[in-house]
Amino acid sequence: MGEEAVLEARRVTKVYRAAAIETVALADVDLVVERGEFSALSGPSGSGKTTLLNLLGTLDTPTRGRVFVAGRDVTEMSDAQRSDLRLHELGFVFQSYNLVPVLTALENVEFVLLLQRAPRAERRARALRSLEDLGLGELVEKRPNEMSGGQQQRVAVARAIASEPQIVLADEPTANLDSKTAEDLLDLMERLNRERGVTFLFSTHDPRVMARARRVIRLVDGRIASDERRPQ
Amino acid sequence: MLARIAWRNLLRGWRRSAVVLCAVSVGLFASLSLVAWGHGLLNQVVQTAVATRLSLLAIHAKGYQADPDVGLALADGGRQLAALVERFPGAHASPRALGDGLAQSARQNAHVTLVGVIPEAERRVSVVGNSIVAGDFPQPTPGGGVRALPGALLGSELADDLRVGVGEKIVLHAPGESGLGAFRVSGLFHSASPDFDKGTVFLRLEDAQRLLGVGDRVHEIAVALDDARALDRLDAFAKAELPRARPGEALEILTWQEREPRLASLLDLMSSTAWIAYATVFAGMAFGIANALLMSVFERIREFGVLRSLGLQGRQLVELVLLESLILTLGGAALGVGLGVAFVLVLGHTGVSGDAFAGAGVLSVGPRVYPRLESGDWLSPFALAVVTAALAAIWPAVKAARLRPAEAVRHI
Repeated sequence: MGEEAVLEARRVTKVYRAAAIETVALADVDLVVERGEFSALSGPSGSGKTTLLNLLGTLDTPTRGRVFVAGRDVTEMSDAQRSDLRLHELGFVFQSYNLVPVLTALENVEFVLLLQRAPRAERRARALRSLEDLGLGELVEKRPNEMSGGQQQRVAVARAIASEPQIVLADEPTANLDSKTAEDLLDLMERLNRERGVTFLFSTHDPRVMARARRVIRLVDGRIASDERRPQ
Repeated sequence: MLARIAWRNLLRGWRRSAVVLCAVSVGLFASLSLVAWGHGLLNQVVQTAVATRLSLLAIHAKGYQADPDVGLALADGGRQLAALVERFPGAHASPRALGDGLAQSARQNAHVTLVGVIPEAERRVSVVGNSIVAGDFPQPTPGGGVRALPGALLGSELADDLRVGVGEKIVLHAPGESGLGAFRVSGLFHSASPDFDKGTVFLRLEDAQRLLGVGDRVHEIAVALDDARALDRLDAFAKAELPRARPGEALEILTWQEREPRLASLLDLMSSTAWIAYATVFAGMAFGIANALLMSVFERIREFGVLRSLGLQGRQLVELVLLESLILTLGGAALGVGLGVAFVLVLGHTGVSGDAFAGAGVLSVGPRVYPRLESGDWLSPFALAVVTAALAAIWPAVKAARLRPAEAVRHI
């Protein structure tokens, strides 16, 4: 694993078993994601991109192989250790926004900092700054049901980066957004990558995302079919 | 923040929360009211018994409790023992000469218990002094004369049975050679106990001693306290000090619980019944709460997946579900207990008609029963609420904590 590697999958295999049927979702995948990347996992439905994102995000465990996050082998970690790792090293953006519905935008962002045990004043200030930096200052007191899809997804990005993670894993972040909103969101994430060095790994089949990604890893039938790097 | 999420989640599903809250509070309100009624009833039974035929503490000659024989009496009019026991702070003693007898008027007769007392002392010990509805305790008889009959204070029901009133003459018979005498009704009393009123005649101590032929002796020294809660200490004091003061006299010193263990056990039974009532209510509640929480967990699987993705630990998710359960249950308990206590306070002030009980002659209570709560009656529901909340939350909480984040976050 290289010095700048944030995530690494080594010969990772994931097999789902339902009744007597085994489905191989990933087969012997090797992948290294380095700091500062703006990369996309692409491929048709069922190709294993979401499965790989889940494994790299420690939301699931591989059937075989090893996963490293920030240089730490997570394969043998307990559930509590993986939760702790997610809290400090990983940020997530989901397809369906997935903000906590009973919390305001500010509280949603603050929640992660609270879990990190940041002092009250500090977490409030950091959460506010995250939202304002992303142009969401007017949404601070709004709850998710009072926001548009695009606004919710931007708050989700603010939440993902507020804890200053090593990498943000975004699963189909533009899938539920119209073109304009999707472009705005991608602009935002690209800016965060360029200006702040936030590392992004997307799982997507949205051509708009793939067009912006500087690295596109294409999965087919649970294997990496191609790994294309583009000049900045 | 977890508490805030828990609270807002309950508000989000306010209909479901309200149903659970109402179920807990109504159940508790009902059981609390029942328990208060039972306590009020039994306490009045005990108070009536203690304030009439029993006393908080009684001193007898040894063996009198098992066989109340007129011959088993305390020497010296019980004066030394009474003075000694009154050294205990707040204690009041009344020597009594006791015996069975027959009361006879011109029209009727009735079996009675003759109780010879020093009125001033008796007033401080029993409820009789406060229950006089006509006349008073008998006054000392100025020496001799046909008209100077000694007085007798009768229970009002006895007076009705004998068809006599204040100032009228009755004849009292007691076993023994000297056991016959004419008395004039000096007063009537009406206590909360129909049995007591129907069969008790109070005489002056010296008159009763003469009638019973016991000389200067008494059968009982009844002891009351300003603060009944000090009974245990009084009991210890009396049992230690009195035998030492009268080494030659075999004494029997008994609290009312020792004299009437069945009555005392009724109170204990009521306390146990209270716990059973609460436990039954909460056992039923536990299923309802668990059901509501489980529904709520199933509806929030994706949300829990997100929280776990953000780094929330499984045990913190357990805490969240437990918090929701606690808020619901304690909220319901507070509401139910609050309403119950208020209801009991009002009824404790106005009272509830006790005719059904007094009339049946089963229990000696006053015309009205005053429901009351012991401190444990309303504190214990809170303790049980915490246990119930925890038990009810176990299954839903474990269910939530065991969700696999990768699946939960995509749950539809």
